[in-house]
Amino acid sequence: MTVDHAPAAPPHIPAHLIRNFDLWAELTAQGENAYAWAAALHQNTPPIFWIPRLGFLPGAWIPRRSEDLRRILQDPETFSSAGLTPYAMLLGESWRLAPLEVDPPDHAKYRALLNPLFTPKKVDALERDIRELATQLIEAVAQKGRCDFNEDFAKPFPTLIFLKLMGWPLEDRPLFQHWTQTLIKSSDMQVVTDNARTITDWIRTHIAERRENPGDDFSSYLLASQIDGRPLTDDEMLGINFLIFIGGLDTVTSSIGLFFRHLARNPEQQAQLRANPDLIPDAVEELLRSYSIVNMRRTVTRDVQIGEATMKKGDIVMISTELANLDPEVFDEADKVDFQLSTGNAPHMAFSYGVHRCVGSHLARRELRIALELWLKLIPPFRIADGTQPRFNAYGVFGMEDLHLQWDNPSDRNGASETRVSEASA
Amino acid sequence: MRIRVDSAACAGHARCNQVAPGLYELDDNGYIATSGFTVGPDQEQLAMRGARACPERVIHILDEAPAGEGGPD
Repeated sequence: MTVDHAPAAPPHIPAHLIRNFDLWAELTAQGENAYAWAAALHQNTPPIFWIPRLGFLPGAWIPRRSEDLRRILQDPETFSSAGLTPYAMLLGESWRLAPLEVDPPDHAKYRALLNPLFTPKKVDALERDIRELATQLIEAVAQKGRCDFNEDFAKPFPTLIFLKLMGWPLEDRPLFQHWTQTLIKSSDMQVVTDNARTITDWIRTHIAERRENPGDDFSSYLLASQIDGRPLTDDEMLGINFLIFIGGLDTVTSSIGLFFRHLARNPEQQAQLRANPDLIPDAVEELLRSYSIVNMRRTVTRDVQIGEATMKKGDIVMISTELANLDPEVFDEADKVDFQLSTGNAPHMAFSYGVHRCVGSHLARRELRIALELWLKLIPPFRIADGTQPRFNAYGVFGMEDLHLQWDNPSDRNGASETRVSEASA
Repeated sequence: MRIRVDSAACAGHARCNQVAPGLYELDDNGYIATSGFTVGPDQEQLAMRGARACPERVIHILDEAPAGEGGPD
């Protein structure tokens, strides 16, 4: 899928480093083949290439080597995170997503507010709640023999945990699910803008309410916190809440969808985990590596040369976690999913590197592990539901737009055998 | 064997702690709580696995204790 009417590349970008496709559009069009296609970029593109457009965002450098991406992420002075999400700009406002869009040294001040809330120990304390929520959602669909995986599990599961963690009203779950999908997954600027406004309105109302009636929720915690010896401003409050909203909701939904599509398509690996539940933590790491979903951007703050690429101040660099994690220089058989290879492999970049490492990584890992454990324990071998086709979307955070699963409960043996026959003849 | 941790560059992945919780302890922010330590031969493998698990590569294996000398330095 080439880009029509692409803006011309800036003059310092040599023609042989330009690839005329929109990475997100191409990955979306590839569907189930998206990650194999991404892995193949390691064979057929320069180590750092330039593309003219990403969705409605402008052109960017795409480094594909894990080592180059590591160097970039560990050098926030040269590669700034400031102003790289469009939300405030789309609304004509000037707040920033802190700490995500804040560079060192100020970054640490915001990060220090969040770190204590998301430690491995804090996540340990949530384990029972997470298991209970997951169990309830799974039991609600178990007898049906099939489910709309996104609506029945992948969306409500992290959303409920998030709302619980934030101390926000659980009954607003459908609202949050809708906002997440339309804000992060849409390639339509107007849709994103409208939803960003709705979400910021909700957050501002909620903050104002908490200012009047402090509770033991996240917003109240922030209202009582200080930076440089002063309370947070309204814009800082909004930016942090908005960031937690973006980070906490969609990423786990998207990862779970990709994990379960993989297991549905690979019954032998599903059986392997059913027979060896101890392998599940390794499987989570291997699936995080194989199906990375987050693309971030950085702005170059001073001219810098990496390999053949001469980056000029003001250039945008794309941080593609999926390309880093499919790099054959770092991972043996990078394009294969192998749970047993995972422990011996190098660490992956799914949660980024450097000061902006995903603050929710420990919570995300726990949610993913528990989801796999409980589904494999409570539900018989599952597959892609008959008559459905999983749909993958790579705009913003990559994930499954549509995923229906089906399984044969012991009581409906007749239906099960019919299904198998029809599948075999398909 | 001596382990040196460039703790200022720790980003809080906590993978070392996941692999070897007794060796790599975390502070209240979930970041590495030590800048280094010495391990005996029985824990060298575990310490090395913890070092390898660090995505930031801030855990360094400095040297191996001379044979026959197991005491702390």
